[in-house]
Amino acid sequence: MNKSLNIILITLMIFSFSSVFKAQTSNETVWFNGLARSYFARDVLGNTIDTLYPRNSSNGYNLVDLNTHVNPIENIEIFAQLRVRNQFGSFFGSGTNIDVRQLRASGTINNKFNFSIGDIFLKQNRFTLYNYDEELSSFENDMFKPYRDIIHYENFYSDNRWRLQGLQTDFSLQFDRFIRSLEFDFFITRPRGSGQLSANTYSPDLLLSGGSMVSRITKKLSLEANYVNFFELPSSGNINISIKNPVYHSGLNYQYEINNVKLSHKLQTGFSERNWLFSNLDSGSDSSGFISKGMFFEFENEYFVKDSSFRLVLGARYVDPNFRSAGAQTRRIDFNNEYQNTVYPFHTNDYVARPSSVFDLLSDENRFNQELSGSLMNFNPIYSNILPYGNATPNRMGVYLSAKMNKNQILISNIKTAYFNEVIGQGTTEKRNFLLMAGDLKINIHEILEKSKEFSISFSYWNESTIRNSDDIDKINLNSSHINGFLNYEVSKKFYLQLGIKQINAIGNEFITQRNEYGVIQNFSLVNYDQSDYIYFTGLNYKMNKNIYANIQYNWWGENLNNLTSQNFNYRRLLFIFSVKL
Amino acid sequence: MRTIKHIIPLFIFLFFFNACTKDDIEGPLITDLYGSFSITDPFLLVNKTPDFSSGEFVKFNCGFNKPIDWKITIIGLQSSSTKEISGFSNLIDSNNVTWTGNTSQLPFFEEENCAVELTFLNESDTIRDTINIVGSKTYEDGILVADFENGLPSDALVSWTANIGLRTFDIENDDPLLGNSYFKMGGKVNWDWPIGKLDLKLNLSSVTVPAEEFYINIGILSDTTDIHTGQFINIIISESTLPFNDDLTPNQAGQQMADIFIASDEVYKMKIPVDWHGWRIVSFPYSDFEELSPGATGVIFNKNPNNITGIRIACQACPSAGLNPNCPENLDKIVRTDIDHIIFTENSALLD
Repeated sequence: MNKSLNIILITLMIFSFSSVFKAQTSNETVWFNGLARSYFARDVLGNTIDTLYPRNSSNGYNLVDLNTHVNPIENIEIFAQLRVRNQFGSFFGSGTNIDVRQLRASGTINNKFNFSIGDIFLKQNRFTLYNYDEELSSFENDMFKPYRDIIHYENFYSDNRWRLQGLQTDFSLQFDRFIRSLEFDFFITRPRGSGQLSANTYSPDLLLSGGSMVSRITKKLSLEANYVNFFELPSSGNINISIKNPVYHSGLNYQYEINNVKLSHKLQTGFSERNWLFSNLDSGSDSSGFISKGMFFEFENEYFVKDSSFRLVLGARYVDPNFRSAGAQTRRIDFNNEYQNTVYPFHTNDYVARPSSVFDLLSDENRFNQELSGSLMNFNPIYSNILPYGNATPNRMGVYLSAKMNKNQILISNIKTAYFNEVIGQGTTEKRNFLLMAGDLKINIHEILEKSKEFSISFSYWNESTIRNSDDIDKINLNSSHINGFLNYEVSKKFYLQLGIKQINAIGNEFITQRNEYGVIQNFSLVNYDQSDYIYFTGLNYKMNKNIYANIQYNWWGENLNNLTSQNFNYRRLLFIFSVKL
Repeated sequence: MRTIKHIIPLFIFLFFFNACTKDDIEGPLITDLYGSFSITDPFLLVNKTPDFSSGEFVKFNCGFNKPIDWKITIIGLQSSSTKEISGFSNLIDSNNVTWTGNTSQLPFFEEENCAVELTFLNESDTIRDTINIVGSKTYEDGILVADFENGLPSDALVSWTANIGLRTFDIENDDPLLGNSYFKMGGKVNWDWPIGKLDLKLNLSSVTVPAEEFYINIGILSDTTDIHTGQFINIIISESTLPFNDDLTPNQAGQQMADIFIASDEVYKMKIPVDWHGWRIVSFPYSDFEELSPGATGVIFNKNPNNITGIRIACQACPSAGLNPNCPENLDKIVRTDIDHIIFTENSALLD
């Protein structure tokens, strides 16, 4: 492995040097950018009851990601991202890893067809292929930006796209009658290759392919259609079970302007099918099982003032209980029971696995998912119960409203509310009703005082309520609230003092669904909640420019569980991050 | 606008064309899951007089009104052997839930009557039945290295430490794991680690599975009566290409030892502390073994089961006297690590 890496590195270095040489003779044939980061964290036990664990522990690393862009000809680019990572405590190269993190060739053929081969970042529609933000990240106002930056960068979360490996191409056509333009985009990727499961069993290749077509029919009217198919190639393995999940989408968008206001109305619908093919290699007869077919429908209206001072979105949505879309319903965080936290994974002197808290979801980059899943992943209802799979959450029907106001950069506020209920009940004929009420307010005090140094306070409140009325055991009443508070004060030029609080309070009960490998609900486990997760932090941020910052902060975090069987926990952390975007 | 008039009806058509879900609910009824439990199909045993030695098995079938944690427990009334089969479902399906005569807890089942119990988590219901085993399982689905029924395998070499105070490196018949005989392996050497060893020659050229799928299983007998707390078995596996016993020079005690377990060759080891009472079958994939001498010059350590040429079962114990009395509390204690039924299996351990 190391030998192969060395060969690749040497080849790339030679290639780079020759390119640099060429760069001196011809214009811009090679250029570099990247990222460098130093990270140090020291975690401390917050209580003195646990005696089985070290009182504190520290870890950290330095890393450099060097992006090499080579343009052998004008319209072609070869991109390679090399990572050198050195864990603190390693010595003379041991503990230093060198990886090729991304490789891609892209370009344009005849100024008409764009293409990319290798590591590509794909997004389509919110119902077909979309990487939804993780829970608890809304309305943070950059409060935990250093943590979020790392999670998103390390997991290739960029602009709600999924990072995949394959081929993508797009092109467009212009017309002078009937319609104005047609844009096409096609891709085929392989999220997972065939692998050996045991001595004689091999899993098949898993592929994701799709295409989009957007047509501007008139200046005001556009039509789009998307198709994505998540499937396994049975012949590339021998386990005789393969998934297939095509999703079809079409949408119609009508937008126009009245004075300084843009208005748009978007109507979209589509359907999906998911099944598993059971191949019988001996008899040659195949059969499909666990078939789910479902559709969705959404009607959304937007009112947008051109100076960005006000934006209002009002819509209604129906998503069938059997709508399944691997590309849009895969979650960033899987709440399966087997995950072990990175920081102090066990607690109490009984050596009990510590439950995940909001701090783990914020700081543990390893618990985030980068692979598309053919079945619905687990979620924690206290962190997101209304739309755990984003807009594509199955079994939801309701209306939603969101608004954003910006008063001369002095007051910036967001409001979000939604009322949904289930299309059919889970485990009962009674349906859950969901209510979301959320809002945030950021006050730029320096704008009020007309000072040049930034001074802002922001506050947000997010409340989710789930109710299922019943006189029986199946009754549900769960309320969770999520509070953020953040103060950002520029003490001296580009040097910020920051204080923040994040707290989740949850009380009530919910039934957690347990599904088998084919996504069929097999059981419901009743969970009673009365808990509070919290993170308090204070820190200093030195923002040299928009690409370079140094951040040092101290966190107090933990979870209070108000029940007799679980023990509260609390910890502290000193964190230092120095980040440079090259 | 004229276009819109045509397209909107198309969307409405699509909306209704893709019929909505007709089901009323998803998943099992919560009122059933958390409600009262009842048995809908009676507990049925297919083949209550199995002859496991000829490959027969017992099937179980039962239905419930809700998914539940269930457990079938089979207890040998003569051997006290126990087998447990458990699951979570609303059906014990005879196509999937079967018993081939193996055990979850030694000793093995004999030709005997067995009590069968079906129990449920958090429910008081218990259903009972019986099975009469007319032929016990043979446990020979694998590559049998030694069962000691007809003495030691050919080419086997037994050796022990010179001047040993007390030793038992012989075939015995008083308490076998399977069959009638086992190899008694123990003794007393206060001043040194090694007690004695058994070297066996192997030819596994027909094995095709990788090291991760190749298991060694061995029955080990000890007792906790005044146990030597530092006793253990060392299993050494060799992929050496040297002749098994070319050098006929005897050890100090006058016995022959195999030549293929030298540290400078491709040899792997596994240490098993023996601190239990009675028989126990221990199983390890070959991949769990570690290099005997990782720094051996010129040796490429690449485990390949079909290259295995020999296995050594060594009885050792922490010394209680002499130059390095690491375990003085074990002075004059007898070491006991008796063995039986050494068998290699592919894909899974013997009792899985």
